[in-house]
Amino acid sequence: MKTMPGWYPVFLREMLLFRRKLLRLGYLFSAMVAPIIYLVAFGFGLGKSVQVRGSSYLAFLIPGLVAMSSMNNSYSWVASSLTLNRLYFKTFQVFVQSPVGSTSIMVGEVMAGMVKGLFASALIIAVGLLSSSDFSVTLLFLVTLLLNCFLFASLGVITGMRAKSHEDTATYTNFFIMPMAFFSGTFFPVDKAPLLLKAVIYVMPLTHTNVLIRKASLDHEGLISLLVLCAYAAAFFLYGARLIRKYGE
Amino acid sequence: MIEVVDITKSYGPVKALDRLSFGIRQGEVFGLLGPNGAGKTTTIKVLTTLARPDSGRCIIAGRDVLSDRTGIRRLIGVVPQENNLDRELTAYENMLIYGMLHGVSDLGKRIGEALEAVDLLDRKDFVVSHFSGGMQRRLILARALLPEPSVLFLDEPSVGLDPQIRRHIWDIIRKIRKGGRTVVITTHYIEEAEALCDRVGIIMKGQLIALDTPANLKASVGGYVVEYLDKDGKLFQEISKTRQEAHELARDAPAAVTVRESNLEDVFVKLTGQRIS
Repeated sequence: MKTMPGWYPVFLREMLLFRRKLLRLGYLFSAMVAPIIYLVAFGFGLGKSVQVRGSSYLAFLIPGLVAMSSMNNSYSWVASSLTLNRLYFKTFQVFVQSPVGSTSIMVGEVMAGMVKGLFASALIIAVGLLSSSDFSVTLLFLVTLLLNCFLFASLGVITGMRAKSHEDTATYTNFFIMPMAFFSGTFFPVDKAPLLLKAVIYVMPLTHTNVLIRKASLDHEGLISLLVLCAYAAAFFLYGARLIRKYGE
Repeated sequence: MIEVVDITKSYGPVKALDRLSFGIRQGEVFGLLGPNGAGKTTTIKVLTTLARPDSGRCIIAGRDVLSDRTGIRRLIGVVPQENNLDRELTAYENMLIYGMLHGVSDLGKRIGEALEAVDLLDRKDFVVSHFSGGMQRRLILARALLPEPSVLFLDEPSVGLDPQIRRHIWDIIRKIRKGGRTVVITTHYIEEAEALCDRVGIIMKGQLIALDTPANLKASVGGYVVEYLDKDGKLFQEISKTRQEAHELARDAPAAVTVRESNLEDVFVKLTGQRIS
């Protein structure tokens, strides 16, 4: 008999729950509302009178919104559901008391987070393709998007495993995710920022996603950003898997 | 089957388990009886790999709980104190995920059999949030039995359920015991320990203070209890070895008297000076 990979039931559980969420339109609305507001307010409003690097502001903004939205959705759903499942519903304990290994649990959780991030991104991409002729989806764009979802879903696991209460996840979001959404080049280019601020900005992984996702092809700057993203992704994944392995009450 | 040697576990300044030691035989229903906070759930968490003890050793079927966690997880089924089901999934989906996690083969058929054993087959496609507390408890029992574990841990299996549903859960546990499986139950219900367990360990402040069959434990304090309220309304109890001795005591009592057989609560009171509940 063909053996089922250990991550599959973890992933399947999340997908069954996700399907039920999708059937309630509230989820779709909450995933879409923030990026659409930004798109309308900044893109269609401000964007008409602003140009970035010779292109329309809308063409600059849409990849940034895809990066931001994929980050938010990959991260938040994993962090929040893992915290709740571990601390309140105790359903996470079903995983750790099963023979499935910690890496498999990590893979299942991260893949589920990626699906949620990709789903939200697909909606923004669709709006972008309809609203701007300057916006296109390249192979590098897709690779960056996948990497970004993987990275932030892994970070979501770390938050979900470390949070001591559900309020903790909001604190992590306010201190790390929210500043990253606004200062990592989603809404404006960061290359002209003051030197000290720039140093902080370039530590943030989303900055490198924003650099890479806007490249037509991989150049020197893009390669550095790709390597930084890979390093972050690997570090977050390994640390998340370690937290699951060491889990104890 | 299970050997617990000198396990200690602290949560900050609170010592949950204090050099706890006991053994459980293959095929027996073993009860850990004690008040809330005695260390029962911590013991189950240690034995089911959810908590790591600060010191001590636990062996299940020859495997070390600390060093062979995956091996242990293949042997055990757990019914935790909380109904940790996915409330937004159906009964079948909950069983499916659990079965896959435990590598159960012929899963569809096995889920059907397990749900039938707890009278939930006709509800398999119902979302769990629509289930009553008793139905959720039965579903967790069916889920824990799905991989046919050698040892089944039940942490307060009937807590919060009304008496009729509690008896239904007991009937299911009795059926499980007939299969020759080792069952470990924690409870603070005297009747539950007496009704289900071959042997009972009484636990208090993380230490085992008595361990024997319910009959032997009761015999150790005397078989009968004479009870009456004195003139200040305070409950007076006296234990005697025989029914005849009890009735003699009752004759001399100053108020209306009840003579009853002793129970595990009397054992607990005699050992600790406190009541379990």
